[in-house]
Amino acid sequence: MKRRYCILLLLLLNTSLLFAADIKFTASVSKTEVSTTEQFEITFSVNGNGDRFTPPSFTGFLVASGPNVSTSMTVINGNASSSMEYSYELIAVKPGSYTIGPASIVVNGKQLTTKPIKINVVKGSGQPAQQGQQNAAQQNGMDSRVTMKRPGSDISKSLFIRAALDKSNVYLGEQITLTYKLYTRVALVGSEPDKLPDLNGFYSQDITPKNPNQQVQWTTETYKGVKYNVANMKQTILFPEHAGDVTIDPISMIFVVREADQSADDDDMIGQFFGSYNDVRYKIKSTPVTIHVKPLPQAGKPIGFGGAVGKFNISTSLDKNELKTNEPLNYKIRISGKGNLKLLKPITPSFPADFEKYDPKTIDTIAENENGQSGSRTYTYLLIPRHEGKFTIDPVKFSYFDPSTGRYVSLPTKAYPVKVNKGTSESNVTAYSGADKQDVKMLNKDIRYIKTEDVDVSKKGEGFYDSDLYYSLLAFGPLLFLGALVYGKWYEKNNSDIVKVKSRKAGRIAAKHLASAKAQLSANNSKLFYENVFRGLYGYLSDKLNIAAADLNREKIAAELKTRAIDERLINELLDTLDLCDMARYAPVSGISEQQVFDKAKNMINDIENEV
Amino acid sequence: MTSKMKYNMIRRIIWLLLLVVSPLMALCNDAASALLKKGNDAYAKAKYAEAIATYQKLVDGGYQSAALYFNLGNAYYKTDEIPSALLYYEKARKLSPGDEDIHVNIQLANLKTTDKLDEAPEFFITKWWHAFILGLSLNTLAIISVLLIFAGSVTFILYRFTQSVGVKKAAFYSAILLVFLGVVFVFIAGRQADYFESHRQAIVFSGTVTIKSGPGRASKDLFILHDGTKVDILEHNNEWMKIRLSNGNEGWISATDVKEI
Repeated sequence: MKRRYCILLLLLLNTSLLFAADIKFTASVSKTEVSTTEQFEITFSVNGNGDRFTPPSFTGFLVASGPNVSTSMTVINGNASSSMEYSYELIAVKPGSYTIGPASIVVNGKQLTTKPIKINVVKGSGQPAQQGQQNAAQQNGMDSRVTMKRPGSDISKSLFIRAALDKSNVYLGEQITLTYKLYTRVALVGSEPDKLPDLNGFYSQDITPKNPNQQVQWTTETYKGVKYNVANMKQTILFPEHAGDVTIDPISMIFVVREADQSADDDDMIGQFFGSYNDVRYKIKSTPVTIHVKPLPQAGKPIGFGGAVGKFNISTSLDKNELKTNEPLNYKIRISGKGNLKLLKPITPSFPADFEKYDPKTIDTIAENENGQSGSRTYTYLLIPRHEGKFTIDPVKFSYFDPSTGRYVSLPTKAYPVKVNKGTSESNVTAYSGADKQDVKMLNKDIRYIKTEDVDVSKKGEGFYDSDLYYSLLAFGPLLFLGALVYGKWYEKNNSDIVKVKSRKAGRIAAKHLASAKAQLSANNSKLFYENVFRGLYGYLSDKLNIAAADLNREKIAAELKTRAIDERLINELLDTLDLCDMARYAPVSGISEQQVFDKAKNMINDIENEV
Repeated sequence: MTSKMKYNMIRRIIWLLLLVVSPLMALCNDAASALLKKGNDAYAKAKYAEAIATYQKLVDGGYQSAALYFNLGNAYYKTDEIPSALLYYEKARKLSPGDEDIHVNIQLANLKTTDKLDEAPEFFITKWWHAFILGLSLNTLAIISVLLIFAGSVTFILYRFTQSVGVKKAAFYSAILLVFLGVVFVFIAGRQADYFESHRQAIVFSGTVTIKSGPGRASKDLFILHDGTKVDILEHNNEWMKIRLSNGNEGWISATDVKEI
């Protein structure tokens, strides 16, 4: 329509053409980057009057129309200049990079050529681009040049939600950023959420916008060759919780779209201009996306791997190296980096078993942004050593899986020696569960007092038990008994004949009688002396010769001694001595001393003993 | 006349026995006794460190007695050295197993130790048996057994030589009883000596000690013991001892961490 007017004007003004001194022949395109099936314009213009225009071969493009020739003439201060334009409407067919070759024209007998033009063709939708300008975000977001949707056309082409993932093939626990993007080419009047995805199978963490009060940031983006106004509706960091193909449910939202009035004609500029429209509600769903979650490799999995996936650093610190019992000790583990920090299992460092330990205090400084979770997590362990000694806090074993390299990484930490000195008041500690021991009342009792009575000590190894003395004393009793038995046997044997026993004992008895006589002798008591000698002799003979005391007389003694074949002289001597003693009891004795009598009696008893 | 002679003989034997036994009953070293008394005085004045030094001098000099060990244990208890206190209490108990004071103080000292051990239940007959053989000290048992055997022998002699039928009968049965009791005491003494010989025990002296699964630092940690805990020694291996706790757990401990009772 426009072009028809232009051609008419050109024909009207064609009559007089003036030449300009400086003649240029240029080629220009409406855009250098087009999507397939998109129309664009290429214009060759010359500021002079040329003929024999040769267009380049538009390989790779369809010529929709052209050449459309327009001439113009201007007269400035009497100088007339004219220009000519040859324009073509081209449609790109296949994506790729094309070069439109030079065109040539002859002006005043001179041939001029244009520079070749490069055109980049991208794959795009069938919709011709209506707008393509970068547009900075405006206060209310929308590009003002957004066309109003034409009724009847497919809404899904001009308004849709795309769930964009930064990666779709991940390891278990690796973080993924999920972004719901709203693509629109139509005017939106309002929106309300309909259904948010469940995100089953993920630990999810929404990224809070940096400036929550601000309204949606709009940007333009070319998607499939078509430019759209794009807004990030929602960003979430996902941590897959199990392996396999996990599908993220679609998000569903309701939008109110301003739609041109059905009755208005497509080409009716006035109808468009004055905007008779309807607001129509559309329910828009995103397409479900699938994430392929790989399990973590088993090979090389370190012992104590706690499921950390990402890229981390670990540092540990201890607030003191020497302390007293019952004083607190703080041990800090700081894990920093990027990854599933919030999902870290509490690290269980192996503290000396004797330390009292409490659950760690966890401090997170974790930020979520488009790149995922990053920051640090600090575990503070409170330890209380209850006993003195030298201890070592072993290094923490921390390992993570690095998805970028597909390997496990174990990070080393330091070991800390701790010296615990004896504290002052250990007994005041009530940390031991008191119920397990004995009654508390017992604690008030004191120990029994020392033993003061028994002050005997002995050298070690001088115990009575197991000593030689012990065994000999043990044996002493039985040996004594054995001795007694032997003695008894012998005694019985010797004492079985009364006569023998008596005769055996006679000499001893005589000696006893004579002993008392000797006592009288030394006392010079001659009367008693003789009596004792007399009795001794008689008693001895009575026993020896087994004569009853009643029968004891001189004759009997002499007869008995004779029967035992005793020397006659001895018998006579004995009888004389007996007579002498008998006499001496009544009258003093002369001619023999008492000592002689005593010796005589003793000798005689000895002699008889020897002979009988 | 004969019975009179027998009486004389018995009297002579008793004198002889008294002569032999009485020095045993009072095997006392004057200087050592004086030291022990000095220690007791220091203890009475609550000078426990001094008492410990005095007692320890005796112990280092090779002297021993239940009272000495007991008093030393008390002094250590008062200075809060529970492992040492327990060590000497246990030594005292070995010399005088039936002493109630020692038992009570061991219990009190054990209240201050850290490790709580549930004693593995002993078979009641074993328990009675131990109570039976540990009722009296070894020396007491030895003296009693000597006296009983001797009395039995004398009664047998009496039985042999007495004329009266009644006395003879009574003497026979009592002699058999006395000798039997004497043999029983000898046996008990032997069992007790054997018990202490085979039940060697030790007290943990290190504040904390890790019990290993084998002799050597590289062995696995099994459990942790604290000072004052009594353990049974099962085996010696260079610097290591195999021990058993009263709850039945076994493991190896460095010999430097314990002191044998």
